[in-house]
Amino acid sequence: MTEQQIELGIEDRAPELVPLNAIFATDFVQILVPVTTANTMAEVAAAVAHHVEGKRVRALPYPKVVFHNGRKLPAEMTVAEAGIAPLDHIAVEYDTPEGQS
Amino acid sequence: MALLKREEWQGFVRDVDWTPTYVDDEAIYPEWHSGTGKVPREAWLNWEESYKVTYPEYVATQREKESSAYAVKAALQRSNNFDILDEGWKSATKMHFGGVALVEYAAVLGELKMARFGLNAAWRNMATFGQLDEMRHAQITTFFGHEFIAKDPQYDWTQKTFHTNDWVPLSARNLFDGMMTAPNVVDLAIELPFTFETGFTNLQFVALSADALESGDVNFANMISSIQTDEARHSQQGGPTMEILVEHDPVRAQWIIDKSFWGSARIFAALTGPAMDYYTPLEHRKQSYREFMEEWVIDQFIHTIEDYGLKKPWFWDEFMQGLDTWHHGLHMGLWFWRPTLWWRPKAGVSKDEREWLQEKYPNWETVYGDKWDVMIDQVNANNVEATLPETLPWLCSTCHLPACNATQSRDGKWRVRSWQLDYDGKRYHFCTNACRQIFWKDRDNVNHETLIDRFLAGQIQPMDVGGVLAYMGMTPEVMGDDPDYAAWTRDYVGRTATGLAVPAGKAS
Repeated sequence: MTEQQIELGIEDRAPELVPLNAIFATDFVQILVPVTTANTMAEVAAAVAHHVEGKRVRALPYPKVVFHNGRKLPAEMTVAEAGIAPLDHIAVEYDTPEGQS
Repeated sequence: MALLKREEWQGFVRDVDWTPTYVDDEAIYPEWHSGTGKVPREAWLNWEESYKVTYPEYVATQREKESSAYAVKAALQRSNNFDILDEGWKSATKMHFGGVALVEYAAVLGELKMARFGLNAAWRNMATFGQLDEMRHAQITTFFGHEFIAKDPQYDWTQKTFHTNDWVPLSARNLFDGMMTAPNVVDLAIELPFTFETGFTNLQFVALSADALESGDVNFANMISSIQTDEARHSQQGGPTMEILVEHDPVRAQWIIDKSFWGSARIFAALTGPAMDYYTPLEHRKQSYREFMEEWVIDQFIHTIEDYGLKKPWFWDEFMQGLDTWHHGLHMGLWFWRPTLWWRPKAGVSKDEREWLQEKYPNWETVYGDKWDVMIDQVNANNVEATLPETLPWLCSTCHLPACNATQSRDGKWRVRSWQLDYDGKRYHFCTNACRQIFWKDRDNVNHETLIDRFLAGQIQPMDVGGVLAYMGMTPEVMGDDPDYAAWTRDYVGRTATGLAVPAGKAS
């Protein structure tokens, strides 16, 4: 009997490393930020903010959101679900009452 | 016996070409080195240099220049001239020594290539003098920088820089390999003597020498002027080559000049920009980097290319807008990633300095002031750690400099935008639209891997800041730091600061 090979969907595989080109709000430079396919957008936003928020860009009391290909992604969505691939560009912005910061 | 008059023998000695009969012309001057392209072979017979020199004259003049540069150096060695120099100026000289000494040696190879494969004997003759010039520049720059190692180990990078994988020499190697090592001699003559030397360094060296004198560094001023007089001569290989190329292949002439102007402008923004607008003490600043570029580089460049019937490069608007942003972003990047530098970058943002910056660059406070304010507040909160890097800046696949160029959108917001490209199964990121366009047009040329490419490919281990610094050849006694934090933060002590990151382990 031959064993059938089934390729698991990315959501069922162990988390894989996804290095990103990221910019935080009004920061002056794009940075390298590694995340994994299992990270949620809230975690991705926090990983990018770690390098910039309160260090070069003053922290604001608003939630942070991830933009990918012009799309604003929900906080609970994972990198795998969002289809974010290694070397993709993302922008993290404050979700201010009057729109992005 | 009466000697011949100069004009009677000059033409004979400057052109010693003959017609080969035992081998084909192509065997001596292969296309991939000589690069005639659409230019007919015989057109090169008209190549004529505007400044003629013979070997005895050359040797006599060079000997004089050398003696005078070394005499001044010997005299100043006995003085305390070095000890009284400002730390910012010293940083500008460390950056210069490290960034330039071995590029002069790469230029020796470029000149030798023209001396061997140039399609006119007078050109080859001129390039022979050119390579002797560049050899002298490599030596004098290495020697003058070497003298200070005993006083400050950062000067060791005069010779060391280009032997490392630090991101600054990676960027410079990529540019200069493209300009001197890779091209055929026709393209090389347009890229190096015509664009980089005539357009940028020759004039910059005049200004740099004046800045050195203003800062009290007589020795450096003397070295730079000694080099500049050679540049003024050998850079003239560009003009006659351009005249012939533009007549037969103006499209190629325009592309080569556009590409090399852009590359030169990018590296100038990274090195000359911060030195002029941040490192030079306020009282010694004669003009801003933008004013310098407008007066010395842009006006002259436009006149020159128009004289040859060429147009402004297609990226002109993007370049002009970048004069207000590129070097400010790059300065902030150099400062924030200061452990990767072999000099001590001054932040240069005290109240007085910021007033000067705002006057010279009316958008400076809007685009950069807010970021510096956060870093100032962190220093004043005794949290310098928050101003040190924990990851890499993204580096552009064309110029290898950080992607840090903010542009203003229609709604007035300044943002760093994404310029990406998928090619041959790989994703690339660029700092500007023109860097992306140049990469695309030149995609089959040699492109070095950026530090980011190397990091992600696992070439740098361990994959952390310590691993990166070790990969760059950086050692603790050389690693750059701000020379005087208080100098630019004391004006702001005591003000209320909100929205600061709190050091790990401390409650907010």
